[in-house]
Amino acid sequence: MIETILKAENICYTYEGEKSPALDNLSLNIHRGKKIACMGSNGSGKSTFFLCCNGILRPDSGTIYYQGVPLNYSKKGLLSLRSKVGIVFQDPDKQLFSASVVQEISFGPLNLGFSEAVTRRKVQDIMDKLGITPFAHKPVHALSGGQKKLTAIADILVMEPELIIFDEPAAALDPLHTDLVHDIIGKVTEHGITVLMASHDVNYAYEWADEIFIFHEGRLLKSGSPDEIFSDDTLLKTASLKPPLILSILKNPDILKKKGKRYYSQ
Amino acid sequence: MIVIDRLCYNSGLRYVNAMEKFVFSMLTLLLCVSSRSIIAAILVLLVTGTLTVEKGGIPLLCYLKLITIPLVFLFLSISAVLINISRTPLDAFAIPFGSFYLTGSVQGLLWGVQLISTALASVSCLYFLSLSTPVADILGVLKKLHVPGLITELMLLIYRYIFITLRTASAILISQSSRLGNKSLHTARKSFVAMASSVFVLSVRQAGAQYDAMEARCYNGRIQILSEEHPAKYSEIFCIAGFEVFLFVLIVILKYKSSI
Repeated sequence: MIETILKAENICYTYEGEKSPALDNLSLNIHRGKKIACMGSNGSGKSTFFLCCNGILRPDSGTIYYQGVPLNYSKKGLLSLRSKVGIVFQDPDKQLFSASVVQEISFGPLNLGFSEAVTRRKVQDIMDKLGITPFAHKPVHALSGGQKKLTAIADILVMEPELIIFDEPAAALDPLHTDLVHDIIGKVTEHGITVLMASHDVNYAYEWADEIFIFHEGRLLKSGSPDEIFSDDTLLKTASLKPPLILSILKNPDILKKKGKRYYSQ
Repeated sequence: MIVIDRLCYNSGLRYVNAMEKFVFSMLTLLLCVSSRSIIAAILVLLVTGTLTVEKGGIPLLCYLKLITIPLVFLFLSISAVLINISRTPLDAFAIPFGSFYLTGSVQGLLWGVQLISTALASVSCLYFLSLSTPVADILGVLKKLHVPGLITELMLLIYRYIFITLRTASAILISQSSRLGNKSLHTARKSFVAMASSVFVLSVRQAGAQYDAMEARCYNGRIQILSEEHPAKYSEIFCIAGFEVFLFVLIVILKYKSSI
């Protein structure tokens, strides 16, 4: 039996002053230990949903359950939820607030109540694992975009959550750092941590995910395995998604005849 | 601002215990200001300058440029002390000006030199601290001195935001000038206003997003972070104590002499 770690039931959320809802009767189940990709165009409600998972936003109606228990929005309840659900935000500059890398990463564990000595060890550990140590002595504002992203990921990993949400982790990264980040996400799931990731990269989602959620105008259009999702042409059209390259080549091998003559003739 | 920050992170004195550097610069500053003596000021200027340039590895030219920034303000304000307008000429100099004289006294001149040297020496003390100690470390020192958390947390956020805001502003300025926003004085003025207002809007939005991100990491109203510590060395403490005592004795002797 697969355990549901997080469940959303008919949640609605409208930002103040907006007419159309950002989330419109969204319902979905997230199973423990799965790799889940959330896809959909900009403004389809992915980020709003993520903020709801962490208790930052409270749905206007509907309920979110964490391990079968409805979210408790008291101060204590939120702290305990946030120690289990971590979000790596899309723009590291909106997440990193501290002057030095070590201070930045130490913020989470100290908030969780770990002692300074334990925190110091945890911070060093995670910096070694993610390869941050070489630039750990630099001020945050002097880091490159990729280094900032790694620091933002370390921020969350060091808190050892059960569910990690990555909001477009590879946005604006060079190929090297994209690979690094994807590598880290791969390792995270190997440790049994549930990963929810927003992405526009169909190729990566197809290869990586166990399950894909398609968001559209604040609702869940469809959820299913990558095969189910990417074989549904009308769905892809509604969500303005393209099929992964590998599938389009399989479907239409003529592409290679035109563009890849050299390889095709061999 | 950015230059000072960059120099500071590359300073040779960066990994010296922050409390030592803080105590050294503050004590020296205090003694120097309270002494009101030209000799003490010159000594302090030489010592902190040498430490910053030699030990810290700050390029001499850079240091001189930084030191001359306050000089402009100094000369402007000192001129009021040096120059008097009066009907009778004083002993140092006198430039006739209709029926008046632009004039100054020897005592006034001496006072001006003392003010300038003291002010420069004080600035050099502060430069010593800011060119060798990252803001993060200074905050650690303030925390140890039991400065209220509200102040140190605000300093931390302001420090980070200066860089974010500067970067946003420069990105907007570049995008404006790449679209000929600075073609004439009129458009330049308009562009600048647009930049200033959008930087404000963006920083409000940034603050909101940052608060959400901090909440997501169990922020509970207190910013708790590790401070990096570098062990203090006895030899350094000994040198600092020696210098401060020497400075103090020198000042006392100078006072005693001038009072006779």
